[in-house]
Amino acid sequence: MTPPPPPATAVADMIHTPQAPPDSKINRDILAPTRYLSWQWGVLLALAVLGVVQAAATLAYQTYVGLGVAGYQAPIFWGVYIITFVFWIGIGHAGTLISAILFLFRAKWRNAINRGAEAMTVFAVLTAALFPLIHIGRLWKFYFLLPYPNQRGLWVNFKSPLLWDVFAVNTYMTISIVFFYVGLIPDIAVARDRSTGIKKVIYGILSLGWQGSSGQWKAHNRTVLHLSGLATPLVLSVHSIVSWDFAMSIIPGWHATIFAPYFVAGAIFGGFAMVLTVMIPVRRIFGLEEYITDYHFENMSRFILFTSWIVGYAYGIEYFIAWYSAVEPEQTSFWMRAFGPFWISTWIMIFANCVAPQILWFKKMRTHIPTLFVLSVIINIGMWFERYVIIITSLSRDFIPGAWGVYIPSVVELSVLAGSFCWFSMFFLLFIKFFPIVAITEVKELAIHERVHGEAH
Amino acid sequence: MPTLVSVFDRPQDVVAAVTKLKGRGFDDLETYSPAPFEEIDEAVDPKPSIVRVFTLIGGLAGVFTGFFIQIWMSLDWPVKIAGKPFASIPPFVIIGFELTILFGGLLTLIGLLVAGGLYPRFKMDPGYSSRFSGEEFGVVVTCNDRDVAEVDGLLRSNSAKEVNLVEA
Repeated sequence: MTPPPPPATAVADMIHTPQAPPDSKINRDILAPTRYLSWQWGVLLALAVLGVVQAAATLAYQTYVGLGVAGYQAPIFWGVYIITFVFWIGIGHAGTLISAILFLFRAKWRNAINRGAEAMTVFAVLTAALFPLIHIGRLWKFYFLLPYPNQRGLWVNFKSPLLWDVFAVNTYMTISIVFFYVGLIPDIAVARDRSTGIKKVIYGILSLGWQGSSGQWKAHNRTVLHLSGLATPLVLSVHSIVSWDFAMSIIPGWHATIFAPYFVAGAIFGGFAMVLTVMIPVRRIFGLEEYITDYHFENMSRFILFTSWIVGYAYGIEYFIAWYSAVEPEQTSFWMRAFGPFWISTWIMIFANCVAPQILWFKKMRTHIPTLFVLSVIINIGMWFERYVIIITSLSRDFIPGAWGVYIPSVVELSVLAGSFCWFSMFFLLFIKFFPIVAITEVKELAIHERVHGEAH
Repeated sequence: MPTLVSVFDRPQDVVAAVTKLKGRGFDDLETYSPAPFEEIDEAVDPKPSIVRVFTLIGGLAGVFTGFFIQIWMSLDWPVKIAGKPFASIPPFVIIGFELTILFGGLLTLIGLLVAGGLYPRFKMDPGYSSRFSGEEFGVVVTCNDRDVAEVDGLLRSNSAKEVNLVEA
């Protein structure tokens, strides 16, 4: 039986505003980096900005003088810019793998690292997207890449892999940013509720009035599921299409059907290494050991070991097919790869990508963080050299010895290459200062599950 | 009409409270959760989210646009490339696929904004509190004056750790 209703005056007397309890520990820990300004962060940001400025100056010089200042010599007209483009696009893939594919597989351990990995993806793709433009030299004609109505009545060539690349990279960039932002909305709302002044205004606008109501979470869950479903085939397609930039031509060393899976595996391999390179210092500096644990790093190193074998298999099968095909230019190209003028890059690649990761067979190595950090840097270098080997050695040794040539990267190219790392770091540093580097709501989801489960037993 | 703001610690209590309240006909309720718990969303409203419709429309629009622009542009100024037909379908699958993903993803984002009522704003719901972006759950019920005591009792009997009355 229900109690009798209280008189209206009594209802008014019962009104009082809720008192604020102490904030959740997860919020305090993860938002801590956004609360104070350390001088180390300032120094790092200043260095990154300096690097970007010097690269911008070099680029302005190259744009003014022309592409001759790059180290191009016939027949090698794809150099460091294309290598670096493929490198950065590949880096992005691990982030999408963690955020989309591991989401679909319900691998809950991704929750602590997915934000950092997604941020890395977005900034890596933003870096990569600059390089085709830098490579075309005449920056002001970049719009020729797009199908737009013009007075000549011409359209772009839809049968060219280079055009597929334009669509693939732009789609990948857009969808990565959308995915990243959708995941950030509830976390920005957490930051909004805990800040004042101008920060509250900015977070308030970015969080779009998020309150975590049932309808919002329902829509959010659906959105994340659908975006994961869309991003999974997308990420596999993007590096496949990048590989077809090479494989659709008839250059010995490029014209291989294994290129798509080979590139995708290499991208995931290099991307996981970059996640380690970035997240190990972040975890250390901001004291996030409680959220990003050794278990996460161990799982990532298992991925690295596995993809290292796929990449190693692809290296091997390329040589086998070159020999088995009995095509002389193909055989020569691969012989020159290992023993020609660029032998050192090939052996760096094999050591860094196939030999060095084998230490991950041992649990002691997988959980020893300094070792993982050094190894991840070695792998990053190795993956850059992998693209160097694929692009430069193949171009330099094509069908007739009369057309052979040698390529040495120029100072201009190396300056822009260094600038790309600074550009990436600049975005990442700004991100960790203003946004939560660990997905707060996803960590809370696990924490609340655990708490409730603990109480039940 | 008075609004009761109750605070919970555990998602299953929220589900129980919401189920009871809806069973008694108090449909004007909203939950606030610091993390996604599908069982709560189901209890409040079992209808599936309309985001799915947006994704479908976006994907179909993308695949149609992709093939349409490629076939039309290739025929608008025909250039023979590698002896293939002007409108050759196999290579067009690639850009058709990319645009499916692009349009599908963008429409999904719009679907989230529409379904979640998300737009830049500073005024939150009257029952919302920053505690609900901490680690606590909120159930906010709006009811008639005479039902306040019953709703209060229902919330407390389902382990609400506090129930506050605010005017809507």
